[in-house]
Amino acid sequence: MKSGKLINNKFLKSGSGSFTTSVVAFLLAIVVGGILIELAGFSSIATYGAIFRGSLGSSRGLVLSLSQATPLLLTGLSFAIAFRVRIINTGAEGQVYIGAMAAALVGAYVNFLPGITHVAVAVLVGMIAGGLVGLFIGFLKIKFGASEVIVGIMLNEILILITAWLSTGPLMTPGSATAQTNPILETARLGRLVPRSQLTWALVLAVIIAVYLEWMIRKTTLGYEIQVIGSNLKAAKTAGINVPKIYLLTIFISGAIAGLGGAALSLGIHYRFIEGISTGFGFAGIPVAALAMYSPAGVVVSSFLFGALRAGAMTLNRTTSIPIEFVSVVQALVVVFVAAPMLIASIKKNLMRPFRGIKNKRESLKGGDA
Amino acid sequence: MGDWANILYVVVVSTIRMSVPMILASVGAAFSVRSGIMALGCEGMMIAGAFFAVMGSFFTGSPWMGILFGIVFGIIFSLLHGVLNIRYKVNQTLSGMSVNLLAAAVAPLILQIVWKSKGISPKVASFKKLNIGILEEIPIIGSILAEQNILFYITLILVVVGYYYMFKTPQGLRMRMVGENPVAANTVGINVVGYKYLGVMLSGAFNGLAGAYLSLAQLDMYIDGMTAGRGYIAMVISTFGKNSPVGAMLGSLFFGFFDALQTIFQGGVIPSQIVRTLPYVLTMLVVVFGLKSARNPAGMGKHHDE
Repeated sequence: MKSGKLINNKFLKSGSGSFTTSVVAFLLAIVVGGILIELAGFSSIATYGAIFRGSLGSSRGLVLSLSQATPLLLTGLSFAIAFRVRIINTGAEGQVYIGAMAAALVGAYVNFLPGITHVAVAVLVGMIAGGLVGLFIGFLKIKFGASEVIVGIMLNEILILITAWLSTGPLMTPGSATAQTNPILETARLGRLVPRSQLTWALVLAVIIAVYLEWMIRKTTLGYEIQVIGSNLKAAKTAGINVPKIYLLTIFISGAIAGLGGAALSLGIHYRFIEGISTGFGFAGIPVAALAMYSPAGVVVSSFLFGALRAGAMTLNRTTSIPIEFVSVVQALVVVFVAAPMLIASIKKNLMRPFRGIKNKRESLKGGDA
Repeated sequence: MGDWANILYVVVVSTIRMSVPMILASVGAAFSVRSGIMALGCEGMMIAGAFFAVMGSFFTGSPWMGILFGIVFGIIFSLLHGVLNIRYKVNQTLSGMSVNLLAAAVAPLILQIVWKSKGISPKVASFKKLNIGILEEIPIIGSILAEQNILFYITLILVVVGYYYMFKTPQGLRMRMVGENPVAANTVGINVVGYKYLGVMLSGAFNGLAGAYLSLAQLDMYIDGMTAGRGYIAMVISTFGKNSPVGAMLGSLFFGFFDALQTIFQGGVIPSQIVRTLPYVLTMLVVVFGLKSARNPAGMGKHHDE
């Protein structure tokens, strides 16, 4: 069977072409962000210039951009892969926390694993922990028809609270003033790619996963089934695809990747679990995935864009420039714009309007009323 | 005996305190759902309400102006959800999430710009307990009423008015028809788009007010993350209460009771973080087991001209 038959994906192949939609959406978000900067009393050109120099203008900035991109790449992949079967994994934040905690515990308490196997097992346990949370969400969806959006959000709150309790209570470092677990052993640390930076092997792992997922979706039976479910659930059922099985598998993968994001934080950066270890990386994955039109390979690019934006904003002068929170606003705007291909299309049309005759304008107004 | 009476008193007072914002939010969600629009943007509208209410109160010195700001910005964010849905036919889950993401990003940004502070606003003029004079003399009820502020009474009125509007007026009937079967509603000449905007704007106003209650009545400042998923819970309560204002109120009281248990268990053997998971666990249980007989309008999430 040729894939063209069953896969009729209106969303991914929206009229104007998904790539241009992404580009226009990103540029629009940057422009609206610029207007916000001006409204806040700063110069948008100077700010964006400084962001560019701070992120891509030097090798140090580049390293910072890549290390900022790493968790975004992972949570972006997590959201993207689940969305390919139209599951909205809002539970990524909780999966990051549980992954970070599980990996940190293996890193701190398992002391018999030699050399590289220690870090490998710690990473794997973090992934499995996140994956199991994903699996639980999938199970509730399939078995009880529970909305994965709500369940995911509730699990976030629950897991953040439980890990906070663990790190302030039973697993707290004795004598510590802050909520954190015991430090992990040297053998459990994720190696750095560049000395004195936060850039670790997690990035390499993340890119490999992205490439694998892209290949898996395009070239394997599983990927084909994922695409059919995503584009036409009815057709998938008619064609005899085991939908619940694919749902569970996909949400497990999604959760495991978010769990890896958590493990990367505790094994690569903090070398232990600390309370509040993720500052919303789970949710930041949504704009990353949306900008990439939910393509794993595209997520590599979009996470780098957002990573650079964050890195640049971090290097801004705190007293004279816009605060880094502005990056989150740009990210949210990207979701708004990417989600609305019709909005992008109408903006493109409006931009072209001055170049057309008045007659056309009248017609389009009429069309709008109908 | 006195001990138990005291505990009961604390439970009732904190149940009401925790319930009021949930009542407002879930009544708002009910209006959105009844007009056929998924109420997934409630969290964002509530964040906007909580934050801008504090700004309003800060710059005018009046909590009433704060409330007004909260409602107006709740409506502005609801319009984003509405325009994306109604005009641009965006997937309703994505548009709801984008409203939530945007509000959660805008509030800390403005907070940082205006007050040069991370995550917490200065204290502002807020609502105090209402002096009810002679009514306080009524046994038990009097002392419970004495703990409430004016927003408690406004909320009760809004529930009654909301119920009356939704079920006893021709407009309410039309709105429910739009949510149930937009195509049929359109055929009989009902302004489908108009009622959808009305429904979503009402949800913005109610959620803005709910947010304002959190920041100006429960507290007297804005703290990042203070809504803590209440907007999502409100959506669940609304469905649980069959998308009726009265059902939403009863459901909110039920949830508020579990929220209130926190105050009793505080300082006890159970760690506070574990106690705080209660409302979320309860919401999950309701989503998994409690929504069997509940249903949302048939037209929810669909675009009427497709």
